Amino acid sequence: MPPAADPLPLTDTLTPVDQAELAQTVREAFHEGTPIYPIGGGASLNFGLPPRDSGLGLSLQGLKRVIDYSARDMTVTVEAALSLDVLAATLANEKQRLPIDLPDAHRATIGGVIATNTSGARRYSQGTMRDYLIGVTAVDGRGTLFHGGGRVVKNVAGYDFCKLLTGSLGTLAVITQVTLRVKPMPECSRFVVCHPRSPETAERLLEALVTTQTAPAAIELLTGPAWSNNPVLGSVADRGSAHLLVGFEGSEVEVHWMADTLWNEWRKLGVAGEVIADHHIADLWRRLAQFPVEGNPPLVIKAAMLPSRTLQFVQMLMRIDPNCSVQAHAGNGVVVARLTEFGAGGLSKMLVSRLQPAAAEYGGHITVLSCSTPADLTRQCWWGTFGDTAPVMEQIKRQFDPKDLLNRGRFVYAGL
Amino acid sequence: MLVDELREVVGVDGVLSAHADLVVYECDGFVIEKNSPDVVVFPRTALQVSEVVKLANKHRVPFVPRGAGTSLAGGCLPVGGGIMIVLTRMKAIEEINLRDRYAVVQPGVVNAWLNLALKGQGYHYAPDPSSQGACTIGGNVATNSGGPHTLKYGVTVNHVLGLEAVLPDGRIVQFGGPSDDPLGLDIVGTLVGSEGTLAIVTKVWVRLTRNPQGVRTLLCIYDSVDDATNTISEIIGAGIIPAALEMMDEGILVAVEHAFNMGFPLDAKAILLIEVDGLEVDLDRQRNRIIQICNQCQAREVRQAKDAEDRLRLWKCRKQAFGAVGRLSPSYCTQDGVVPRTKLPHIFRRIMEIGQRHGVRIVNVFHAGDGNLHPILLFDERDPNQIERALAAGGEILDECIACGGSVTGEHGIGVEKIAFMHKMFTTEDLAAMERLRLAFNPEGRLSPCKMLPSAGGCGMEHSGSSPSVIKQKFPGRQAAL
Repeated sequence: MPPAADPLPLTDTLTPVDQAELAQTVREAFHEGTPIYPIGGGASLNFGLPPRDSGLGLSLQGLKRVIDYSARDMTVTVEAALSLDVLAATLANEKQRLPIDLPDAHRATIGGVIATNTSGARRYSQGTMRDYLIGVTAVDGRGTLFHGGGRVVKNVAGYDFCKLLTGSLGTLAVITQVTLRVKPMPECSRFVVCHPRSPETAERLLEALVTTQTAPAAIELLTGPAWSNNPVLGSVADRGSAHLLVGFEGSEVEVHWMADTLWNEWRKLGVAGEVIADHHIADLWRRLAQFPVEGNPPLVIKAAMLPSRTLQFVQMLMRIDPNCSVQAHAGNGVVVARLTEFGAGGLSKMLVSRLQPAAAEYGGHITVLSCSTPADLTRQCWWGTFGDTAPVMEQIKRQFDPKDLLNRGRFVYAGL
Repeated sequence: MLVDELREVVGVDGVLSAHADLVVYECDGFVIEKNSPDVVVFPRTALQVSEVVKLANKHRVPFVPRGAGTSLAGGCLPVGGGIMIVLTRMKAIEEINLRDRYAVVQPGVVNAWLNLALKGQGYHYAPDPSSQGACTIGGNVATNSGGPHTLKYGVTVNHVLGLEAVLPDGRIVQFGGPSDDPLGLDIVGTLVGSEGTLAIVTKVWVRLTRNPQGVRTLLCIYDSVDDATNTISEIIGAGIIPAALEMMDEGILVAVEHAFNMGFPLDAKAILLIEVDGLEVDLDRQRNRIIQICNQCQAREVRQAKDAEDRLRLWKCRKQAFGAVGRLSPSYCTQDGVVPRTKLPHIFRRIMEIGQRHGVRIVNVFHAGDGNLHPILLFDERDPNQIERALAAGGEILDECIACGGSVTGEHGIGVEKIAFMHKMFTTEDLAAMERLRLAFNPEGRLSPCKMLPSAGGCGMEHSGSSPSVIKQKFPGRQAAL
């Protein structure tokens, strides 16, 4: 759990009861020039640079209704502060789900995870939030309520505000209502795990998964104390080894076939796999989802890169901090790591001089998810450098939030 | 002279300026609106595109990008004349990386060429619009193209990882790249589907999709449209997501049968083309369940594709359905409305009623799985009265789609054709927000003016130097917003 201390410098917090009141609240703040900090479930308030200017907390907790759910159309429209577990339970009644791994489900809100573009292990097979958001209502930095998309899955009318707002950390507009497409719940799920003893073996296994006959739901390379000696995963021989965990979802027939087939594919490569017992499966998915937010490590980072460079990046992390714990979505090249040591030179230097250049060399980038000493980090530490794309983002920001009120100073804009 | 400066950038053979040559580019697949560009250029590099854009700004003329010109909404119509930038000579597949599951293509690469290049390697590029034999990836990006397999595989934006683009002031910027997850704002997702109004795409990083292990393709013949639409609902209700679920009605069926001799009964009221794909081990069960549902919904007959060749034959009749329309009528226009899937029976009945009332024959092809309709309205363009009635009927169909909680365009885009509907789908505030986004990229409004948004008071453009072209009002009842 993140620290209980209030990360936001709030003079007051308001909780509008509906979209109209929320828009009015922002309009008033616009006239006054008061910074606004949108608050969903408060699960990710330490994501992004610490805010410096005191302002108004805008709680979305008055907007948590299910507006419309059409199971046969596989779409659901809800207000932004509906918590993830209530959303999941609503969909589960119709044997449907939003197939994205989201931590803190009892607290986090759908609007919040859209604003932070949270995703997890199932992104390999199911995609991320931007692939499920089909309609959005939001209030911009002037207090104007506007819509994008709609309630149907195929819709190219107008600009795609669903994409623009996903991951924008509430800095262009405050999301008030969303329409999501949903999917049927799979009948069955299973995990197969192995413990490659050397990086060469791990690399061979990851390469082989590109051409496996199976269709994995998730491909997870797990290292470090968070995973080692976990009785469910089986113990690894030494600290430096990894678990390679592959998840499957589908019909019973499909899942059993896939688990058997992968086990045989690994056997042919000289690696012994184990099928994880059924009664551990639900909990394992939960643990995978919770990893980025567990404990209170000094630093949690998320890197994206070419999948083929995942292992190299993980090895680099382990050289810097032999005690780091890593969850790499290896099929996507996305690596989440919890670090306690930063090498000589400290945290900031490690990020800017070693990790960011490495991620760039590997075709990607790196961001900080959370840090227990945020004062040590500059904007460049949190988000990296943007080069040519920065002016474009800043232009968009100026159009939607001309007084820079929404989550001021927390996101990527440097030149406002 | 602008034309001379353009020749310096793209070469003499990269410029068309003679009237007879320009007329070829006066319209795209939306033939009702026509206007010639003042000059057409064929750049080969992003740098050349950038130089052309800078020249357009220097001379204060509008410019519009174009791929293969297959747009059905007038997306390539050069409103206000100006420079048309045709991307078809930027047609290289620059990289295919199977280990990291991406390819890098130039915008003029034809959609089908990419899959041809991937053939036999276990991967494909999923978005497959029916025009894929001609349309370009750049065009697919502009309209966020769909196709029959979007129900399971998503649309273009779900398969684009990165874009290099020339901004309206000539800057060349790369957004995203081969890795997942945008950094900062999702500009890639914002540019896809922006119909060439925010930037000109000069390179695309696309996600490659693993080929399914197996596929089962069914053709189901019905004596009533309701039975067919009930089947769709029941299949989804059973938790099955087919890879594709297409519907054709009696009218188009007759044309297709005469064109391709598929052996369809000419008195069938509707057919469904249903495809499931995935692991072999479960496909027969899924297929059998679907057949069971079809029979429960009173299907007259269910046929199965025997092999890969047979499957291609069945798909041919769907993908080339529009090509068969020539047997029914000298001209046609099509709509691209969307309704929630559960409203399909209702919208089909309304379409038939609207057609009867306006005296317009309408035949139908639907991406039924995601509620995306393509009613094909038949007329003879030599008769202005028929055109007027067809357009009125089409407009009413779109109004009904909106009333059903749907959209006026599922994949073709707004272009110029549907600008008038933007006020019906969106509030003034919504359109103002869209205008702000356009201003963030395209403040002078020279890139693709008068597209997609009904900007109040016209394009906000000024012509100086070259004389402005005027949209020829050959056809009554319709005009691009000016």
